[in-house]
Amino acid sequence: MSARPETEVPFYFGPESALFGLFHASATPARKAVLLCPPLGQDQIRCHRLYRQLAQALAAEGIAVLRFDYYGTGDSAGGSVEMDWQRCLADTAAAANELRARSGVDRVLAFGARLGGSIALASAAQARLAGIVAWDPVLDGRAYVAQLDAMQSALRLDGQRFMVPRKADDVAAQWLGFAISDGFRQQLANLHVDRPAAPMLLLDSLASDAPPSWGGFMIDAAAVRRMESATPWNDPRRLEVAILSHPLIQAVTQHVREAA
Amino acid sequence: MQERAFRFGRARHLVGIAGLPSTQAPETVGVIVLNAGLVHRIGPFRLHVEMTRRLNADGYPTLRFDLSTIGDSAASGESQTRKQQICADVEDAMHLLGEQAACTRFVLIGLCSGSQSAHMVACSDPKVAGAVFLDGYAYRTVGYHLRYYLPRLLDMKRWLLVLSRRRQAPEGSGEPAFTVAPLPQAVVRADFAGMLDRGLKLCLIYSGGISRYFNHARQFRECFGRVVSRPGVFTRFLKEADHTYILTGDRNRLLDNVERWLSDNFPVMTGGSP
Repeated sequence: MSARPETEVPFYFGPESALFGLFHASATPARKAVLLCPPLGQDQIRCHRLYRQLAQALAAEGIAVLRFDYYGTGDSAGGSVEMDWQRCLADTAAAANELRARSGVDRVLAFGARLGGSIALASAAQARLAGIVAWDPVLDGRAYVAQLDAMQSALRLDGQRFMVPRKADDVAAQWLGFAISDGFRQQLANLHVDRPAAPMLLLDSLASDAPPSWGGFMIDAAAVRRMESATPWNDPRRLEVAILSHPLIQAVTQHVREAA
Repeated sequence: MQERAFRFGRARHLVGIAGLPSTQAPETVGVIVLNAGLVHRIGPFRLHVEMTRRLNADGYPTLRFDLSTIGDSAASGESQTRKQQICADVEDAMHLLGEQAACTRFVLIGLCSGSQSAHMVACSDPKVAGAVFLDGYAYRTVGYHLRYYLPRLLDMKRWLLVLSRRRQAPEGSGEPAFTVAPLPQAVVRADFAGMLDRGLKLCLIYSGGISRYFNHARQFRECFGRVVSRPGVFTRFLKEADHTYILTGDRNRLLDNVERWLSDNFPVMTGGSP
């Protein structure tokens, strides 16, 4: 996909200019605006390319897009150990306002993968989001924390990665490459996402051997779209392999195009 | 310390983050961190962010950026080989950091393919004063094979495992592998000698994550001969660490080494930022 560099502007914004953002101006005067909420941890790095491709696809449709990093992640200020759920929600609201100011469009939709989807859902009111597309959002915080703990624990004995097994202390207080605080861990364990009032589309690509329980969350089954290929979010062998999906980009672009 | 985002380069196609210390001594080298594989400029597990911020606090201006077509950077639109492109991109990066921080000499840092990029540029660019090669070029040696095979030959459990695996169907990873053929050993050895003759300082830090072809600190000498014993060369083998420094303790140990090497070889004459 061709990029028009001058229409992709990197900058810092928000309180104390602590947040990194990259604004994708639309090819024509923007009719809509989409905020891309990144996932956290290694998922964020794995999805970076896909988010860029999605932003370019949307911009080519005449839609203004903002990608950004929460405090303590990516190029934004703060250390990984400073990640905080409430701060992620506040940063999302700040980013939505930044997108409104740069695009001149008040009506902002949001997209997020995994925890990025959870953040978009949880910040819908605070960020005044007009619609949300959530891709495999994390809704059960306790199960998610247990999964990350199990993967982190297994990492210690990964003979493909380490010449010698590591001690339990070496892998403590981290999740797959990122330092985490007790507070953040507790916030995720207690994660509870209410269904937002804004219209939403849920894209499901979780493996079929772990059927998600969207039923309790999604009232309208028509708003859940099953993706054909499962996304290997939790495969430790692919921990450092990029997540790419053209069907995902097509599904999101089509949904935003058709959104009122 | 202040971080600023830039779009820059001859085709304004590159994206990077400059870290500018609040006070800067004259003659301080600028530090440029190159992409590790296809990971965007923040580095594996945010390694490059932690590295540049630590160095900023020590008083070094830094730039972490994406090479053409990687991360947020676009193609330049020129018809160039990848080597020409990398050299031109790093030239653009040095120009930007020179403008922002008034530095004229630079240290390049790269992990894995980033190390190869740093090597390419360090071979020819007179503005490069030093380079940190993380898991850079390495070659299996006789010593490597002895260290690898001898313990295995004497391990009965391993023999049983090998025999049981033979009975199973072969298992392919199914993942496509995109790799760059390494330079011949003699060429790298000569390159290192040329760099040192030109006064460059070199820091080679290799991890246990490349144990498929490097498994002991002695292998630096086995691979590159007497050139690694010259005063301008620092070597360190971090056996416990993996290739991308997934554990925070390993990352800190790596950064301690890089920080110490920089302060020994390119000291900041006045104190860093508070």
